[in-house]
Amino acid sequence: MSVLVAPLALLWPAAAVAALADGRRRPVGWAAVAVLAVAVGLLTALAVRVAADGPVEVVAGGWPAEVGIRLRADALGVTMALVSVAVVLAGLVHGVAAGQSPRLFPALMLFLSVGLAGLFLTGDVFSFYVFFELAMMAGYALVALGRERRMVGGALIFAVVNLLGSFLFLIATAGLYRATGTLEMLAMADRARGIDPNTAVVIAVLYFVAFGVKLGLFPFHFWLPSVYASAPPAVAAILAGALANIGAYGLLRFEAGLLPRELAFGRAVLVGIGTASIIYGAVQAIGRRDAREVLACSAIGHAGYLMVALGVGGRVGLSAGVVFTVTNALGKALLFLAVDLRGPLVSAAFVVGAFSVAGVPPFAGFFGKAALFDAGVQAGSTAAVALLFVGGALTFVYLFQIYQHTYWRPQPAGPAAPVGARAVVAVVAALVLVVGLWPEPLLALSDQAGGALQGMVP
Amino acid sequence: MNLFIALVVAVLFGTGATLLLKSDLFRVVVGLVLISNAASLAVISSGLRRGQAPIYPLDQGQAVSDPLAQAMTLTALVIGFATTALLLAMAYRVYATHRSVDLDDLARSERTTEEALERGPEVERDQTRT
Repeated sequence: MSVLVAPLALLWPAAAVAALADGRRRPVGWAAVAVLAVAVGLLTALAVRVAADGPVEVVAGGWPAEVGIRLRADALGVTMALVSVAVVLAGLVHGVAAGQSPRLFPALMLFLSVGLAGLFLTGDVFSFYVFFELAMMAGYALVALGRERRMVGGALIFAVVNLLGSFLFLIATAGLYRATGTLEMLAMADRARGIDPNTAVVIAVLYFVAFGVKLGLFPFHFWLPSVYASAPPAVAAILAGALANIGAYGLLRFEAGLLPRELAFGRAVLVGIGTASIIYGAVQAIGRRDAREVLACSAIGHAGYLMVALGVGGRVGLSAGVVFTVTNALGKALLFLAVDLRGPLVSAAFVVGAFSVAGVPPFAGFFGKAALFDAGVQAGSTAAVALLFVGGALTFVYLFQIYQHTYWRPQPAGPAAPVGARAVVAVVAALVLVVGLWPEPLLALSDQAGGALQGMVP
Repeated sequence: MNLFIALVVAVLFGTGATLLLKSDLFRVVVGLVLISNAASLAVISSGLRRGQAPIYPLDQGQAVSDPLAQAMTLTALVIGFATTALLLAMAYRVYATHRSVDLDDLARSERTTEEALERGPEVERDQTRT
């Protein structure tokens, strides 16, 4: 069996079995953790192979290449898949170790990983939609699983807004299929050059709105703070570290990969929206006191950086967008996982996450910000560089506000968090540090991804 | 025909969007169902082409109608059905916990819960948040 199909073939049956089992029991939870860990291992092997030999392709069901649905792992897809599924794994371990996971928690996490792995590794637009709905449905259910009263309302708003985004995506896909006559991403990119510019602009705008909603970009952010703040920490970490990657991937793949001409056309708008998003998110975050709300608002700000990267464009800009998305996903996941825990190591892990998200060496986030800086300098845009600097400084302010308010106060009485939850936070913090100290694999994959996105339209 | 279908999609989507802005949760769900059907119709209209049925053996030299759009619509309908079920289940949970499906009531009760939480153990921590 191809290493490309293996993660899906492993996760899907496991998710179906887990749905029948009682996830409140520890052994079921740990079995799900083991399956997901194997899947992360397989995705790592796939990433190593893609980095060495270029994209891996499989046509499902042994059909001829033009008829069958094509699974395709290129540098962009495999990087995103690996990071997202790894974040889901961290969330699953955290939830299982904390002990009070609801019955369907492990099954939903596995379904979420099937959806994520599938959507990042498919080369077909419609199967992208199917996997994407699978991942999002698991996401809606996970947000709604919480026990607090206010969560149900938040989950419903989350579901309604994101479903609206999904249907816009579907309408845009129908339009692009009508215009190009294919669903294959590579062929679409090739044929999209020849379609009527008016049609292409409408489709590009629809895709932008659809994925902007997922990402929580400034004008579409209204649902984000209440959902992120009311979800349980493991779920919030997954929203910020895995589901938000769908929005980033979609913007990179569909805007930069399929419709680069229209993207270049809207460059000024992108930078404008990105700037608004960064400033608005940071100001909102500084104004909040509750640690989770601060982190939620900072997600709005960090969506803006990706817009700036897309606006700068070119191989440097796109690969900077990839590096930033990956490091930011890891840092955000770490912060959300750490924020409600107390006990030894946790505050150190929180500081690692905070430094990483603010972009301080030697943590992973530094390379994300550095790549964006580099892209800004190469594009000769003083405004972009100044904006990145101001954004970084504001990030620093609000993250250390949280640190001061939560960890420098006397700790509330009560037992320390479970060892498993603290251990997973420590492991993620170590990962952030390792990526920061040894960034070459990530940078090489991202550079390849930026090249591949541009290569879709030679 | 194209114009007619475009108009139907537009009316469905517009009606759905209007319902989405109401404060009654069931209207919101119905609005989303309408929007999902607008999307399905848009997908099926992307394959509008007259021709023979795409079943082998085909007559050479005659146009073939597009089966892919139909297959996509079928998938989209199934996904739409699943989302409707999920949304209704969530709306029912909202009703079961809050005894109301009105979003304004929901916001009000959330505010009271939050205020009660803040008055509780953490009085000094956060007086300013509304």
